[in-house]
Amino acid sequence: MGAVPFSIHARDVTVRYPNGVVALDGISLDIQAGEMVSVVGLSGSGKSSLIRTINGLVPISSGTLEVGGRHLESLRARELRALRGDIGMIFQGFNLATRASVLNNVLVGRLAHTPTWRTFLGVYRAEDRQIAYEALERVGILGKVWDRASTLSGGQQQRVAIARALSQQPRLVLADEPVASLDPPTAHGVMSDLRRINRDLGITVITNLHLVDLARQYGTRLIGLRAGQVVYDGAVADASDAVFENIYGRSIENRDVLGT
Amino acid sequence: MSALDLPPRPRGRWKPLVAIGVILVITAITLSPQVGISFSFDAIVRNWQNGASKIFALVQPDWSFFPRTIPPLLETLAMAVIATFVASLVSLPLSLWAARLTNPNRWTRGIVRTLLNIVRSIPDLLYASVLVAMVGVGALPGIVALLLFNIGIIVKMVSENIEANDAGPLEAGRAAGGTQFQINRVIATADALPAFVNQTLYVLELNVRASTVLGLVGAGGLGLLIDAVRTFYRYDQLSLIILEILVVVIVIDNASDAIRRRLV
Repeated sequence: MGAVPFSIHARDVTVRYPNGVVALDGISLDIQAGEMVSVVGLSGSGKSSLIRTINGLVPISSGTLEVGGRHLESLRARELRALRGDIGMIFQGFNLATRASVLNNVLVGRLAHTPTWRTFLGVYRAEDRQIAYEALERVGILGKVWDRASTLSGGQQQRVAIARALSQQPRLVLADEPVASLDPPTAHGVMSDLRRINRDLGITVITNLHLVDLARQYGTRLIGLRAGQVVYDGAVADASDAVFENIYGRSIENRDVLGT
Repeated sequence: MSALDLPPRPRGRWKPLVAIGVILVITAITLSPQVGISFSFDAIVRNWQNGASKIFALVQPDWSFFPRTIPPLLETLAMAVIATFVASLVSLPLSLWAARLTNPNRWTRGIVRTLLNIVRSIPDLLYASVLVAMVGVGALPGIVALLLFNIGIIVKMVSENIEANDAGPLEAGRAAGGTQFQINRVIATADALPAFVNQTLYVLELNVRASTVLGLVGAGGLGLLIDAVRTFYRYDQLSLIILEILVVVIVIDNASDAIRRRLV
């Protein structure tokens, strides 16, 4: 791969939705290239908005956000697409085209690098298909390459989604509650995949989580959000139960841990 | 004995009753002599025998008429197939254009939708009449009339299906840096395919039936023959034509099922 992973620099980023809800309230952050960051908070704390702001799915209302050396607030549509081409995204609901084959879903990750006429005719370059096969191999489901996505289990679908992100040859991977729809063993498998992407490929990975034990086990750095503000930013190792209780604004309960 | 802590009843329990009331009021209005249509049952009592003789002729099909029905029947089928094929080619991109999820641009979406509303609001018989006047009697005006009629139906149904589909996969395409065109081609089309296939097959069946009506104004197919035998009160021949249409519709229906099972 060889490309330099992305760093992120946010200064006083505020996101206000058209309905008036302030999702992010003056956030300032620096995430270095190659970090593995867990973003923790209750639902509605703004962690999903934060991740969607980083790849421009949600526009910034004020402040500046620099991703991979480019300022998101001033990008034109074409430049934004090019930037997104370098940022893989993984969703809670997998977001696969369930009627399409696994291969075609993974090839979605090549869209930003594929001319429109090739997409229109459905003829992908041999090297793009090769990249897709290798991405599926990396998450261990190459055997399903010709299957229809809807025939796969939840864990397998999330692996296809990770392969889709990997086939972008990303410099940053954003994961929005990637294991919230999965059972505990599968959840650990998917989190291990994300950690390997970070360790083996050196890609910056930012993962939204609401479970305390997963954040502790798989991240090196923890960012806690509450009501759209950063209430904790430090090493996971230093994050005691008290820290989590401050992030959640209540005591830690059973439902805040995945268990095994 | 302690009182149960029953949560308050959900509101809107009266909605079904209100809906039924509205339907009854509308029905009453349409039946009232001042506003609604006028009809009387006396006419049925007076005239039922006229209809009975026609029905008597209809249940005795004139089988010897069969050879003469073949060329127009084939013409009807050809018109239906050609119109369905061309309509399906045109309708898929138009459907993507007409749906909000696949075309965020309010203006182009509005233009496409308005044009299609106009296309849909004009009856197919009127298209056929105007086209017969323009290009002459024959299959061509029939095909064009069916085509317009079909595009209106397919685009309406498929674009509504796209709106109802999950937006998540499209968002994944956007997050991967795809253009709207690429996202529509790769993701939205795959998701909309079942609805598209269903509507196209349905329209094929509609066309076989519609082309019989279009023939009345000179737009080719079985309709021309129907018009001819009806003029001479040959209800025995008419019933043979109706039987043939029934057979074709049943064949298409079964073929559609088979295709759907394989494709969808």
